[in-house]
Amino acid sequence: MGMDQEIWKLVLEYLAVKEDLRSSKAEIALLEKKLRDWVSKDPDHEEQLEEVLLLWQDTAQLPDDGLWKESFAGIKEQINQAPARKFKILKWWPAATAAAIIGALIFFMAGDKKPLTISQNQVVWTSKTAAPGKIVKVMLPDSSEIWLNSGSSISFPQNLQHAGIRTVKLNGEAFFKVKRDPAHPFIVKSQQIQTRVLGTSFNIRAWKGSRPEVTVLTGKVAVSRDSVGVQSSAVHLLPNQKAVYDVRSARLLREDVDDARTSVDWKTGKMNFESTPMEEVFQIISRKYAVKVVTDQSFKNCELTAKFDNVALSEVMKTIGLTFDIHYTINKQTIYIKGGKCN
Amino acid sequence: MGENNTAGFNYNEEKRFDEKSFEDLYRRMYPTLKKYAIYLVKDTEDAQLILNDVFIAIWKNGTLIADEKAYLFRAVKNAAINYHKIPKASFLRIDSEEENPEIIDLKETPSQAFQNKDRNRVLYALIDQMPERRRLIFYMYRIDGFSYKEIAALLDISVRTVEDHLVKGFQFLQQKVLKNSAEFR
Repeated sequence: MGMDQEIWKLVLEYLAVKEDLRSSKAEIALLEKKLRDWVSKDPDHEEQLEEVLLLWQDTAQLPDDGLWKESFAGIKEQINQAPARKFKILKWWPAATAAAIIGALIFFMAGDKKPLTISQNQVVWTSKTAAPGKIVKVMLPDSSEIWLNSGSSISFPQNLQHAGIRTVKLNGEAFFKVKRDPAHPFIVKSQQIQTRVLGTSFNIRAWKGSRPEVTVLTGKVAVSRDSVGVQSSAVHLLPNQKAVYDVRSARLLREDVDDARTSVDWKTGKMNFESTPMEEVFQIISRKYAVKVVTDQSFKNCELTAKFDNVALSEVMKTIGLTFDIHYTINKQTIYIKGGKCN
Repeated sequence: MGENNTAGFNYNEEKRFDEKSFEDLYRRMYPTLKKYAIYLVKDTEDAQLILNDVFIAIWKNGTLIADEKAYLFRAVKNAAINYHKIPKASFLRIDSEEENPEIIDLKETPSQAFQNKDRNRVLYALIDQMPERRRLIFYMYRIDGFSYKEIAALLDISVRTVEDHLVKGFQFLQQKVLKNSAEFR
């Protein structure tokens, strides 16, 4: 099923030219066009190319197996026997410095050969944050569009449009409209999950402490678990499907949704709760209205199902108050809640 | 890289390097350089002796090398040529384009091996399964950043052969990954 030799030659040529700083823009553009032509010939080609780029990225560095140490000890010994230039016996560094050295080493290797991939050491990351009560639209350097929900932040490398793989990091919730570019896959890293796309629109909810989920509006998306370098199998999603990461079983589950557009209702200030735990409801309210919620009891095992348009906080609290028999007072930016019964 | 650039010491800049940069250099160069030496002399221990000689010479000289990568590979190649001049018990150089048949135990890389393992490590475990020359070319290209042309010169083979090995090496990786794609992605 792999790609044939001619295409591999083309891909390798493209990658070599792209990584070579001396290459001209026209040179790169020509090869890019050839690749695009090939991609457009068959729907499978896009995925194949994406896989190949990942292969390229993931072979950029050699894992240090420490094999060199033994033979290096032999060299040190030989040097110490020779009087010409004294070589102090090196003490092996403690783990912390060792990590720093490996970092420096990676940097050195990366510097040796301009990497196509994003190397943490050279890339300057930019962050954008939506404060509580605010929704912020961010335009990325590759002209992908992102809407950040209140209390969320995104960081991306400044050279995103030149990266072989476009990687961004998300805290919280955001709606993505990714600029289509088959040669440069787009990856979002967020709370233990990784979402990989070519060009589509989708919503990621990845709040600390709650189940992360990815809902697809258009296009195709692959979601996988991502915990410190360990990746699980990907769940592939089509429009009106979502992936939910169940933290306890460490599994990604695929579910159908009636209308994926409701997942981005927050963009217009709407709130949809569907058997949402009250603790989460209060978190969402405090982010949206930039308030603090203080309760005198735990609302564990309490759930809310309700829909709100972009209404005032008092309106929302009135509904919740009636539902759970709650007394509340709003004082400046704090809501004090008393009592409350779960049905 | 000049073809006959055997002396790569840069005398203009008298930057003496210290123990740490010496060790770093060894650590960086060891993986591919050792494979290259083994490839040339077909003997692991003799390969290490060549590496020792080359590195001890650098240490004694004590100055930074301008293009250390090109210099070191050249130096190892020259040392290997001298090595062959020493009359050894009828040394037979097997120098054909044919590779050893790929002996790869498919059971050795079950899908489970892909789980919970760093992708990069798994890929290099696969690369280490490649035939000797192909693996060496892969390292020289991907890790050390030599061009097809430079690799061809160092291995005394044609540029097309280098390209062919690389393509086959990557195809091999791709097939392995595809076979395990469910767990691997």
